[in-house]
Amino acid sequence: MRPLDPRLLRYASAARWFLLVGAALGLAQTLVVIAFAWLLSRAISLAVAGHGPAELAPTLGALVVVVVARAALVWLLEVAASRGAASVKSQLRARVLGRLAERGPDWLAGTQSAGVATLVGQGLDALDNYFARYLPQLLLAGIATPILVLVMLWQDLPSGITVIVVLPFIPLFMVLIGQATQAVQRAQWDALQRLGAGFLDLVGGLATLKIFGREARQADRVRTITEDYRGRTMKVLRVSFLSGFVLELGASLSVALVAVSIGLRLVDGSLQLGVGLFVLLLAPEAFLPVRQVGAQFHAAADGLAAAEDVFAILDDPQAPAAPGAPTLTGPPGAVRPDPDALRFDRVRVRRSSDRAGRAAPELTAVFLPGRLSVIRGASGAGKSTLVAALQGFVPFDGAISLGDAPVVPGTPRPWLAWAGQRPGLLAGTIADNVALGETSADPVLVHRALREAGAGELDPATRLGVNGDGLSGGQAQRVAAARAVYRARLHGCRVLVLDEPSSALDPEAEERLVSGLRRLAAEGLIVIVVSHRSMLRDAADQIVELDGAAHV
Amino acid sequence: MSEPTFGAASGTPAATAPARTGRLSTATRAILRLAQPRARWFVPGLAAGVASLLCAVALLATSAWLITRAAEQPPILYLSMAVVGVRAFALGRSAFRYLDRLTSHDAAFRQLSLLRVGVFSRIVPLAPAGLADTGRGELLTRLVRDVDALQDLPLRVVQPLATAGIVAALSVAGVWSVLPAAGLTLLLGLVVAGVLGALGSGVLAARAERELAPLRGNLIGQVLEVVENLDVLTAFGALPGRLNALRQADELLRRATLRRSLGVGVQGALLSLFAGGATVAALAVGIPALAAGGAAGSLAGPAFAVIVLVPMAVFEVFGTVPAALGAWREVRSSAERVATAVPTVIPAEIPVEVPVEVSSGGATGATSAIGATRGQRARVVELTDLGARWPGAETPAVTGVTLRLAPGDRVHLAGPSGAGKTSLAQALVRFLDYTGSYTLDGVEARLLPQSEVRAVVGLCEQRPWLFDDSIRQNLLFARDTATDEELLAVIDRVGLAEWAAERGGLDARVGERGALVSGGQAQRIALARALLADFPVLVVDEPTANVDEEQGDRLVRDILVTAAEDGRAVLLISHTPVPDELITARVTLPGRAPGLRRAGGVLPA
Repeated sequence: MRPLDPRLLRYASAARWFLLVGAALGLAQTLVVIAFAWLLSRAISLAVAGHGPAELAPTLGALVVVVVARAALVWLLEVAASRGAASVKSQLRARVLGRLAERGPDWLAGTQSAGVATLVGQGLDALDNYFARYLPQLLLAGIATPILVLVMLWQDLPSGITVIVVLPFIPLFMVLIGQATQAVQRAQWDALQRLGAGFLDLVGGLATLKIFGREARQADRVRTITEDYRGRTMKVLRVSFLSGFVLELGASLSVALVAVSIGLRLVDGSLQLGVGLFVLLLAPEAFLPVRQVGAQFHAAADGLAAAEDVFAILDDPQAPAAPGAPTLTGPPGAVRPDPDALRFDRVRVRRSSDRAGRAAPELTAVFLPGRLSVIRGASGAGKSTLVAALQGFVPFDGAISLGDAPVVPGTPRPWLAWAGQRPGLLAGTIADNVALGETSADPVLVHRALREAGAGELDPATRLGVNGDGLSGGQAQRVAAARAVYRARLHGCRVLVLDEPSSALDPEAEERLVSGLRRLAAEGLIVIVVSHRSMLRDAADQIVELDGAAHV
Repeated sequence: MSEPTFGAASGTPAATAPARTGRLSTATRAILRLAQPRARWFVPGLAAGVASLLCAVALLATSAWLITRAAEQPPILYLSMAVVGVRAFALGRSAFRYLDRLTSHDAAFRQLSLLRVGVFSRIVPLAPAGLADTGRGELLTRLVRDVDALQDLPLRVVQPLATAGIVAALSVAGVWSVLPAAGLTLLLGLVVAGVLGALGSGVLAARAERELAPLRGNLIGQVLEVVENLDVLTAFGALPGRLNALRQADELLRRATLRRSLGVGVQGALLSLFAGGATVAALAVGIPALAAGGAAGSLAGPAFAVIVLVPMAVFEVFGTVPAALGAWREVRSSAERVATAVPTVIPAEIPVEVPVEVSSGGATGATSAIGATRGQRARVVELTDLGARWPGAETPAVTGVTLRLAPGDRVHLAGPSGAGKTSLAQALVRFLDYTGSYTLDGVEARLLPQSEVRAVVGLCEQRPWLFDDSIRQNLLFARDTATDEELLAVIDRVGLAEWAAERGGLDARVGERGALVSGGQAQRIALARALLADFPVLVVDEPTANVDEEQGDRLVRDILVTAAEDGRAVLLISHTPVPDELITARVTLPGRAPGLRRAGGVLPA
């Protein structure tokens, strides 16, 4: 893990700003620390030498000023960190979302959408601690430590050398112990993962356990799992806590060495008390940032991990679904050109990663206006992917054309209305959902679309929660279908595509939907439905099996 | 699992959680007590922690004494104790710290097991229907995460606060014994810094939270919605508008964060200020005492150096306090969420366990009423005007169900989505209480222990839970005496023989939450469990909900045929039609008034 990823500076200008401000504040803080130590040691040594309160008053006054300045700098550094974190999060979030919009849904499906949403949402908050606790200390370790060591060398060579000798051991041991920790952790990894999730597994499965009358003994199992977890975790911690031990030991031992060596040289008179105290006070300060960097390592790790995930998305070299030159511009083939038909000519989706490792199916088919066509095929055969190709979300070989115009990826599709397998409803009223993408909803048209989708009984003013919460699965499906119908009517779309619109519908609702679709087809739309359902099959004018053969 | 509950959840905690600045509820206190290790485990870590911090203070004090005394050039012999002390304290500080972390973590983990068991035992009677809004996966995960986060109470709250307090008190006493005035200034500094820090951090954090939490929740909700519906938003041309709205939400949050940032570092700054102030104050009272020292003989140079430098070390120890207070706020809200999610009072809609009577002369009351043991047939279930309601719902989810199930009956319960079919299933296994009448062989189910009802009436859930374990373990808990042959036989009966063999037999894992198993396979595993448990009456809730139509038809056929082989009564709940030859009767629930289901819906989707 790199302590400071250069990509952070590249992708977020606010991070550059913070580093500059932070470095300036760090430098000022270092100077204040030196001034404080110098004034304090001077006050003590003069007082011990017999100077009275009156003579020392100016020194004390200067100390007060320095103390106030030190507090102010501590405050400023934290403020800067908090501002830097907020701005960096905004910038990274905007970049990732911009990238998502650019690459489209298919690319998102290849990543893990839940992961991306969490990352862009709360995930980035992990950067708060990275900025507040880690980066300032990292800056200080780079600025304060060298300056303090130089001052010690200048004031008292032996003490400075002691610190210089001890300092490098700290990172060295940290690395060694870090590796040992990883080795132990790797050995325990599987068991730890499983035991860590074990409690959740039991709580989640509690209903199932109760059905089988097994709830009584599960408390014991919770105890066993947790005890096992404790044993294994402690094994890891015994090693990983060693790094903290080394940090503390290095720092306190060198203070001890400096103190004893100064003491002995004071006894033989080769050193003055003021200098001795000054160096003694500086020694722990030289170690402080290094210790903090080590102690805040974990806070930083979370933030850096979140940042890495963001960079992985931003760095992804995969080109956006290229406005692909269809590889086949050839003759229209056997089918007679119809000026309004939607034609798939040897269309095969280009997929780098088909999950099942199967080749995508090839489709040649003509969909005519006024017809209700049903696309069938075994689950996982790639029906939805073909729909995605029609939408322009995935690159494909072959050619799709609507009338005379070729349909290419990456261009808008004002002629297409679509409802996906997942309803994809948003928070807001049902009317808002049906009229998605429009600035205002036409109440008459909304009601008509709902009716035609078999959802006439729903009140358009009903407010839905996130993800359409408040509707049953079947109701949500019909609202999604109504949304496509609304768009088709409002914009006069020529093609209406519904992907598994009735999988959660009861027969009655399905019947209403089918008759609505028949009516739309009768009005001259190209209606394409991906479905397994027998009712739709029976109502279809054309059934397309996914091997490409069209049965009219 | 991309359920959008974060968006909803991010709005609710602020609204539903008890006011952050208010007092702790009794339920929250009970949860917190459960999280704090008992003294026997906690004290060793505390002692080591105190020793480590004392060493840190003593290291600076002894070093200061050593140097100042050495400057008086005494015979070196006088310094040898101090030299030894400096080295010992340096070693002791890190060694005790290591011990402290080991023992306190061990104690916290020991307590975690008690804590988990305690919460689990409270969940058992409530699950699944009574867990307030935790029926859905994400929220359940959060409950478990909250329980585990309570580990921080001993580790990051009590331990740092206790050690810092003890060491500060001892240091004040030490300085006091040298020069009372210096002890007093140190005490004052600590108390004022502590009080200001505690008050200030609470007020500032609460205000920031009040201002920022809704903005953050709004932003996160919007992000989720955009990411999860990217295809829909793109297809309907609504993406640019949404991204714009999102940018505005982000900008609002950023501006509010910048406004709040001025309060962020105040605590650290105050500590630094008071640390310096205490040092200057020690100088101010020490210098006159030292000057007068010749006369009073009270303060020598080395002791003066000690009282001036000790405050610095004490305040460094005290520096852990703000972090501990922050951790306390987090622990507290975790505890509050756990207390809310797991109510101490069981809601009226959840049936309470019938106490088993052992009083009157031997016969164990209710248990003997039906003498239920699995494997016995001849069970008749009769429902008359049965209704059921979810906790917190205003209207019943299902009402007026009347049906009779005798051995060998295969009844298809149909009805549109939202008609309350799943609620009925939950009532039949006594997860939900019911109104009307529900009898088993003529005995009212309400009067029977729940375990007896569930020994007779089994349920294949809509989403059967698969444990992250082997296929064997996922079957064995249904009947733990089953041999491997019996398990393989039942796997064969439910049509999974080939599937299991492909994966390498009974030892194959099903993956976390059944990730390696399809919806249809999960249903078949659930059926296998039910067959192993040999329920006389089996309720099957929407087995085809997550299965496509063709597979679904086969699955329903297999379930009905297989389950009926033993003369079992089967109630199949399904919104899809079932061929007549497979069933003996059909009951249709009327659709309810269209519109919203219960707000916050515990109902599985």
